[in-house]
Amino acid sequence: MNGRNRLGRRALTTGLLALAAAPGRAAAFGEAGAFRARLLAAGQGHTDEARAGAAARWASELVRRTSAPGREEREVVSLDRQALFREPFVVWSGAEDVGALSRSEVSGLERFLRLGGILVVDDADPDNGAFGRSARREILRALPESPPVRLEASHVLFKTFYLLDRPVGRVLGPTHIDAVVRGRNAVVLFLAHDLLGALARRGEGWAFPVEPGGMEQREHAIRFAVNIAMYVLCSDYKDDVVHAPFLLQRRGRAR
Amino acid sequence: MGNLALAEGLTPLVAAVAALVLCVWLGFVFYEVRSGRRGRSAVVVSAVLAVICVGGALLRPTRVDQRGARLGPRVALLVDQSRRLRLPAEHGDRRGVALAAAGALRRRWSSAQVDIFGFAEGKLVPLSLERESTLGQLGEESDLSGALAELEAQPGERVRSVVVVSDGRFSRPTERVDDAALAAALGSSGIPVHTVRVVEQAPADASVREVSTVGAAVAHQPLVLHVTVGCAGGLRCDDVPVVVRELRQGSPAAELARGVAHPGAGEATIDLEVTIERAGQRVIEVAIDAPEADRVPENDHRLLTLDVRRERVRLLHVAGRPTYDVRQLRLWLKGNESIDLVAFFILRTNSDQPNVVDDTTELSLIPFPVDALFTQHLPTFDAVMLQDIDAIEYKLEPYLPALAAYVRSGGGLIMVGGPSAFSGGGYAGSPLAQVLPVELPRTGEPYDLRTFVPAYTAAGRAAPVLGGVRQLLGEELPSMEGSNSLGKPRSGSIVLWEHPERRIGEVPMPVLALGEMGDGRSIALGVDATHELAFSELAERTSGRAYGALWDGLLGWLMRDPRYEAGRVSLERPCIAGEPTAFELVPPPGAAGEVVLTIERLGLPAETALTRKLAPGAPLLHVDAGRLRAGGYSARMRVGAAPPTRLDFACEDGGRAFADSRPDPGRLERIARATGGKSVSPADVAELPLPDPTEVMVERRASALVPPWVWSLAAALALGAHWLLRRRAGLA
Repeated sequence: MNGRNRLGRRALTTGLLALAAAPGRAAAFGEAGAFRARLLAAGQGHTDEARAGAAARWASELVRRTSAPGREEREVVSLDRQALFREPFVVWSGAEDVGALSRSEVSGLERFLRLGGILVVDDADPDNGAFGRSARREILRALPESPPVRLEASHVLFKTFYLLDRPVGRVLGPTHIDAVVRGRNAVVLFLAHDLLGALARRGEGWAFPVEPGGMEQREHAIRFAVNIAMYVLCSDYKDDVVHAPFLLQRRGRAR
Repeated sequence: MGNLALAEGLTPLVAAVAALVLCVWLGFVFYEVRSGRRGRSAVVVSAVLAVICVGGALLRPTRVDQRGARLGPRVALLVDQSRRLRLPAEHGDRRGVALAAAGALRRRWSSAQVDIFGFAEGKLVPLSLERESTLGQLGEESDLSGALAELEAQPGERVRSVVVVSDGRFSRPTERVDDAALAAALGSSGIPVHTVRVVEQAPADASVREVSTVGAAVAHQPLVLHVTVGCAGGLRCDDVPVVVRELRQGSPAAELARGVAHPGAGEATIDLEVTIERAGQRVIEVAIDAPEADRVPENDHRLLTLDVRRERVRLLHVAGRPTYDVRQLRLWLKGNESIDLVAFFILRTNSDQPNVVDDTTELSLIPFPVDALFTQHLPTFDAVMLQDIDAIEYKLEPYLPALAAYVRSGGGLIMVGGPSAFSGGGYAGSPLAQVLPVELPRTGEPYDLRTFVPAYTAAGRAAPVLGGVRQLLGEELPSMEGSNSLGKPRSGSIVLWEHPERRIGEVPMPVLALGEMGDGRSIALGVDATHELAFSELAERTSGRAYGALWDGLLGWLMRDPRYEAGRVSLERPCIAGEPTAFELVPPPGAAGEVVLTIERLGLPAETALTRKLAPGAPLLHVDAGRLRAGGYSARMRVGAAPPTRLDFACEDGGRAFADSRPDPGRLERIARATGGKSVSPADVAELPLPDPTEVMVERRASALVPPWVWSLAAALALGAHWLLRRRAGLA
């Protein structure tokens, strides 16, 4: 460190967690802007323990693989609490119909998204699809003017860090994702791939098997999660003109 | 001398009617006595006497005595007051010759009423040849047509003739106007215009006669300068090198273009393409390398103040790692249509493990083009934002001297906090630290982990930069997780936010500071959580608008947006070397405190400081800055603790008036000829004709020849005698 007295990035993301002054708040310099996947509790939805832990682990994969700082503390936020506005990213995971959100929840969701927050809706049981459908329905109540649109493989989400050609999670799922787009930015991502399921661990091993691709698919799922985190942190940075010639060349080489 | 006149108040009509009646009556008497009656002679004589007496009683003739005098004619002497008259004549300067000629004329025409006026491009100014204070106001041009029109419109005695003392290079009437038009324009009043030609021959002079541009100057875009070079007075200029430079503060002038003009014994225009990288007022020098025999070195260069506009702010945003703070700044920058953003974020370090076999096919990362960015492309940016990036780890160190020079030459710099910013990023002791508005500590912790809420300083409350944030949030600011360790502010810098607990010696540590560094500006923001203004519980109350207000202000100030300047500084008139220079200062609304105006010469460290106190509520302040030498200058106004407002300006030696030193004696001769006047050299002013004097009546006395009652009595007696004689002659 060239003789300079300073803390390493990883020290910030791990060792200093013990200094947390208040639940849900960053506790060190450089921490306030670190990525964290907070879990959203809304309606009648329920996130199982393994996937709740996966949300917290998301940051560790980001920190290990990229220069981005992350925080692994687990936090569950509600749509009708002010704590929702402490950070701009939340994950809403579930397997069942969430029912109808209360008026205050819809209002909170609307304000969160209009302020610039990003929400990932991760269906833990995409074969059933009840969670995904109900989440779309309730989000449409919050942003009725912005129905979901399809994000093609050319979207910046698939090149924010890794070069990917499709989304994957615990299941292979559809080759595209849907999103609510406001302005130039996707503010809600609808995943029908159980991404948290692919990241979830139980003890020393993985919590759920990945189908049908096994470890390779899990690695791609982790890469997709990293890309989502990078999209949250950099928005459409990789769409900048300076990157275009490089990325075109690399895509061509990969094929 | 006396004259006869009728009684005052008697109209000619009444007098004529009375005379007619009396004549008719006398004729009737002659008719009556025609038949040779006795005593007819007496009747006729008495009738004539009666007519005379009655006529006298009616007309009451008076004697009028008048006395007159001869006054000298009113003559106007118009002396050219353009600063062009400071150019050389055959002997001395033209102004000296003109004033000597005017003095000689006034002495010679001591019997006349000689009014001496100075004329330039404005109104006529009465001159007193004995009082130098009346002679000092020089103008840019010589508008003779306007001066003559104003003279003609003056009330009082009409001018009988005009004498113009000049070198003949009038802005009006123009060089191209023909004799007929001259006669129509100047000769219509019938007043002869004599001319005195103060100089006949052009001095040996090579000069930059004119510099013009095609279109407006826009930063980063080529601008063509049309440079006209002239040679006169027998000087031959086959090859005249021309160079264009930009004068900058605290550094040598930067050469922008070079060329060669070939005016020969006339003039030639060359086009030089320049690209000015910085927006705002920029002082440009166009200079020629004149031949040795050149007698007027002052016009070998012109200084222009170009108002360089900016189509879009071209901004380089470099971040050491992606965070919510980086995200928010990028979203704001990308959402601003007036910003052309080039961004580079470090997404991977050597210690990261992306778990890939082939970086080039599995990752979307590109190498950080540090060399290209900070060498060839650097001048193309209006501002650079360094956000939490380690100068050593990412090999920025070798480029920091160039980055510092970029700021001093007019670039903008914002360093945004984070663990790898300021001292934490290896910037302490680097050349870049010298252009930051705060010192950087080289020892101790590079940052502090304590959570705090920044506090506004007095300057922060007064600064328009933070006006938008304060409008939305008042004194409230979000809580920040830690802060960079910043040192005390550099001289001339302003602290807007400070740390409520951390101190440097006796004073609070700066958190947000602004500074002027040479020609450029820089901002130090020692926190990494301004995104809390966009997305947080506090931001939710204002829909995140305080974030945009903060960065609008910071970037606006960096780019010299007038909305974020603390007041306005302007010159009351163009600055001319050696002549009084005055400024008009407009402090920001509600500002109070000492107003300090500092004038600094561009390119040199010399500095003149003036201090003026602002009277409470005074909206304007006029400041005389004395007489400046030729060159480019930067004037800075500071009101109390608010950030300074800057005006860059050029101070020329003679300015446009000196650009073409050739006199135009031919035009003076044509003007004289067209108006019936005479054109002479200063040595021959005695040949100018003085108009005839004017006769004026100074006394008139009227007195009755005979008192009216005598006329009445005589008329009654004469009529009575006539009546008696008529009776005796047997008439009715």
